[in-house]
Parts: sequence; structure tokens; C-alpha cells
Amino acid sequence: MEYLYTLAILMALYVILAASFNFVIGYGGLISIAHPVFYAIGAYASALLARDAGWPIPLAIVAGALVALLASILVAVPSVRISGDYLLIASIGFQLGVLEAIKNIGWTGGAGGLTNIPALLAPGSNHAIYVALTIAVAIATVVLLRWISRGPYGRAMSAMRDDELAFAALGRNALAMKVAIFALGSGLAGLAGGLYAHYFRFLAPGQFDILQSAALLTMVVVGGLRSTWGPILGAIVLEALPQAITFLDLPPSLLGPLQGILFTGLVLIFMFARPQGLIPAGDIWRGRKAMATDARRA
Amino acid sequence: MPGHPDARRSFALTRRAALGGLGMIGVGGLARGARAEQEPLRFGLAMPLTGGQATYGQDQVRAAQWGLDAVNAADGVNGRKLAAIVLDTQADAQTGIQAVNRLVSVEKVPVFVTAWSEVVKAVAPIANDGKIVELSVGANSPEIARLGDYVYTTFPLADVDITAVAEYSATKLGKKRAAVLYINNETGITAAQVYRDTFTKAGGQIVAYEAYDPKATDWTGQILKVRLATPDIIHIQGLVADTPQLIAQLRQLGLTQPISSYSAVYNPKLIQQLGAAANGVIATSLAPGTEDSPAVKAYVERWQKEVGRPPNGLPYTQYLYDAPFLVAAVLKSLDSAKKPITGENFRAEMLGIRSFDLPLTGKLVINPNHTVKKPVYLMEVKNGAWSELAVVS
Repeated sequence: MEYLYTLAILMALYVILAASFNFVIGYGGLISIAHPVFYAIGAYASALLARDAGWPIPLAIVAGALVALLASILVAVPSVRISGDYLLIASIGFQLGVLEAIKNIGWTGGAGGLTNIPALLAPGSNHAIYVALTIAVAIATVVLLRWISRGPYGRAMSAMRDDELAFAALGRNALAMKVAIFALGSGLAGLAGGLYAHYFRFLAPGQFDILQSAALLTMVVVGGLRSTWGPILGAIVLEALPQAITFLDLPPSLLGPLQGILFTGLVLIFMFARPQGLIPAGDIWRGRKAMATDARRA
Repeated sequence: MPGHPDARRSFALTRRAALGGLGMIGVGGLARGARAEQEPLRFGLAMPLTGGQATYGQDQVRAAQWGLDAVNAADGVNGRKLAAIVLDTQADAQTGIQAVNRLVSVEKVPVFVTAWSEVVKAVAPIANDGKIVELSVGANSPEIARLGDYVYTTFPLADVDITAVAEYSATKLGKKRAAVLYINNETGITAAQVYRDTFTKAGGQIVAYEAYDPKATDWTGQILKVRLATPDIIHIQGLVADTPQLIAQLRQLGLTQPISSYSAVYNPKLIQQLGAAANGVIATSLAPGTEDSPAVKAYVERWQKEVGRPPNGLPYTQYLYDAPFLVAAVLKSLDSAKKPITGENFRAEMLGIRSFDLPLTGKLVINPNHTVKKPVYLMEVKNGAWSELAVVS
């Protein structure tokens, strides 16, 4: 049962990450792949506050999310003045820089990782409670982001994403909106990090590297960019599939390449055969019916 | 006398006893047959089968499988087969967590074997919470001894062999100025600190102390700093994959000083890769070599015969070969005492036995402080082959 609980917790955490990443790159149009580093900042901040400063764990998790949020504002203010490829490069630089810092600072556990992180649940507790907690946070995240993206602010976000110049010409502050989108998405990633740290109780910089960015991007792209349910489906499918494969008892010579092919193959297939992902985004200006009518006419 | 009543009674008893004995043998035989047909006793083996470390992980799993076959050929666990559930960790913390969670909660093993420091640390909470014994076989981070009540190692931690090589360099080889080049990861950082502290304590001086990135393929900057420091000896704390390239670059840039390293470097591949540049390289081995043990000689010959090459990381594979013997010895003891096979009982029984005679690595004593002490074999490349330089007890 513990195995299924762990899988459910990871899926819920990836739903938070994929949904918040989708908010940044899909709805906000901010091409950043540094999302895992805010996951790391939240995880490390929460773990260190609880372990070394003796903070109550729930408070440390919230503080971890806030630290990630603040860190993202510090990155966003200079970075979002640029966009497109340049923002992508800046985000990679930030991710690599933070991970290198973690590797080289003694109090973060260094390259060897941070151990003895206190658990949120007391030993012997029913881990189903943690499953319920992470699922509740995942649902709250999705509902919050859906509410924002479907409301007036979401329409303003779409306008900013599709034509920043026109958006600014209407007197709206694009920079403030970009920073807000980036901060909210990153703060939610930090929250997921805190929840991760106090369940798994071990953190190492390698867990938050570029491969993690690629995995998150795959979840969002395969699920469906700019849709509410797409990243959720992507996170669940891509977290469950590698585990399901291990139960096939395939020889290692087949298992390794298969897992590698799974991610890259899915991205390639979806880019060519279904670029809109499993669940395509609706057009919030006109609704799905109008899109379907356009498609029939075409 | 047969005519005597007592004698008849005695005969009758003897006949009854004999029949009973035959019956017992029959029942015992059937029982043994039934035991052999019973579900095998299982333990977990979580190792990297894919990913960057798969070359070593796969050889170690093969060695463990050979050890398991030998255990089962010698009556298994009191007649019952022993089996390993092998899962891939990719030497990655998250994948390791998933693998061990499956071993603990789906396969319900009382004990599992794993390696690679990051994985050993990441899965320690699962072992401690589930009261399942985690046996680290090959990872050497000194922190492993402090990971909790259910985490034990059968492999000496870095402070054993690194201390030995540092002391030997300073006292026996008479080196006074050492340069340390280390990989910036768990293995490199902690072991480099041990070397630095030991060498300094033994009267030497660390004249250069340079880290390099795990993904580095060029070390010119660090090597030039080492060259400027003019050391008597260079200690490299890297991985099997990068150390040969680093040594080659050191030699290309004109550094001819002796080079020492640790057990990961004690590998026949090093000589194949470096050729003459390998001469003078000193490495440690924490297991007896072919010169020390006929069993190890036969084991290496078996590799040559069946696989066509020696194993990658010979001493590590020796420890993995021996792991099923340790597991079987504890399970036998539990079975004989008719105790339920649980992680808690496994731990108590293992600590009760403490001392194990293992075929390829010799005597193993598990200390209460979660460490093990073994002799360190210092090996040196001489004339294109590894030869024993000294044994440090």
C-alpha cells in the first residue's frame, strides 16, 4: 500500500508542478524552464527551517513556498524585461547557478544531499493522510489557476501573451503582470517542494536539474498546453507509465532504452501528430463551439 | 539375548525405533521436498541496471546472482530456496525511492541490498519507517553509519581506505607535499576531506586542494594549479569513468609524480585505457585479490570464461557476491530458531550473529556503530599489471 501511496503523492506533486508550470509558460507565455529550481528552493528552505531552525513543519512548508515566491520575483524583475529565447537562456542560467550553489554550500548538505529532514507525519501514522493532503493541495492549485485564467485577469494575461505591445498601448503594465504570473507559478512549485521534502526526507541537487525541467515540459506538452486538464493528465500518465513498465519484468537491456524512449518518443509523436496535446486548449475569447465551427469550415 | 523378554522388548523397541526412524526420514524427506517447493525466501536488490552507472551495477547484479546460485546449491536456507527481487535504481535518488518502496510494500522483503551513496541515503527513511533492514554494499559515504537503526553497511566506509592510503603515503612512502583533486559530489567531497585531515595529521602538507565538476571532461585549470604547487604525490578522488582521463591529462601536461586513489580505480580497465601512463598508480582494494585467495582467483577465472572479461570494479562485485551468503546466514538462524522473518527480527539476528565468514571478502564483523572494519589492500600498477604494494590492517 505504501508503494501506491508514494505514487499517489508523487502524482499529486507533479500535478501541482505541471499546472503551475503551464500557468507560467502556457497562460503567461513566459518561456522559462527553471521551474524545478523553485521546487528545489521551496524544498530546501522548508527542510532547513524545520530541521535547523526548529520551525513547525506546516509553517516551514508555507515559508518555503514564500521563499520560492520571493526568489522568483528577484529573478523575474530583471529577466522578464527580456522575452523569448533570452528569457529561456536566463532561466537556464539561474537554475544551473542555484544548483551549483546548493552543491557547494555546506549547510545545504552539498552535493551529497540533505538528510535527517523531519517528517510531517509522526512515525507509524497512516500515510493515507499525506496522500489526502497532497491531493487536496493539487486540487486547490488547479482550481485557483483555472479561476484566475478564466476570469478577467486571465483575459488580460491572454492579451499580454498574444500582443504585448498592444497590451501596453492600452495602458496596462505588462512587466507587473509577468512578474505576478512568474511569482505565483514559482510559489506553487515551492509549496510542492516543501510537501516533497517532509515526506521523502532526502534532497539532493540532482533531483532538480535540467532533466526534471524536461520531464515537466513533457507533461505539459503531452497533456496540452494552456488547458486546465491537460497538464494534470500529462503528470499522471507520465508518472505512472515508467512505474507500470517496471512491472513488466523486462530485461534491463530493454527496460533502460524503453524508459528513455517513452519521454522523448511521446514528445516527438505529440509534436507531429497532436501538437495541441491530449487535451487541447479552448479559446477563452470565443469558446470551444466557435473553434469547432472554424475547424469544420477549414 | 533374543530369548530374554527384555531382549525381545529391546528388539521390539529397536524395530519400532527403526520403523519410526524410517518414517521420520520419509516425513523429513517429504518435508524437505515440501520446503524446497515452498515459495522461496526473498530479499531485495536495488541496483543501477540502466543509466550512467549501469556498467558497474549490472556486473554487481550478476555477481549477486552467482552468489545466490551458490547459496541455493548448498541447501539454500535450511532447504528452502533464496531468491532476489532485482529492481533498477539508475543510481538516482527518486528512482531508488520508488524501487525500494516497491520492495518494502509490494514485495514485502525483510531486507534489501543497495548501493551508491545518494540512493542509500534517499531510501534510508523508508527502511527505518518500515523497520526493514537496508544493507549498503559498496557505497562509502561516512554518513551512512548515521542514517538510522535499520541502515547497515557491509562495505567499509571512506574513512577506512582513504585513511590507510593517506597514512601510508605520508609515513611509508615519505611524501610530504600532497595535492588533492576531487570530484565535486558526495564521494569526492567527504573522502577528500578524510585524505586532507589524515595526511596533515601524519605530518604532511596539502599544497593543492582542487574540486572538479562531475560532468567535466577537461581539467587543465586544476592540473596547472597542482603543477604550480609542486607536490610529491597527487591524490585523485574521482569516479571510475573520469579518473583514467584525468590521469592521462596529468601525464600529458608533464606531471610525473606518483598518483594515489581509492577502490573505484582498482580496475583492469584502467591499465587498458592508460597503457604505460598507468604505471605508478596506487589504488586501494577492500577485498582480497587473486593473489590472496584461491576463491577470488576462481571467481575471476569464471568471469573470463563466462563473460570474456574481468568484472568492472572487481572488489565491489566480490561484496555483492557475498551479500546473499550474509542474508542466507541470518535467515537460516531465524528459521532454526523458528522466529518470524520480519525486518525487526532480521536486524536483531544479524546483530546477534555479528561475525560472518564470507567466501570472497573474508571475515565481516558488523559493529554496533553501523560500520565495518576490513584490511585495506594497497595495489600498485607495475609493468602494466596490478600488484599488491601493502596490506594495512
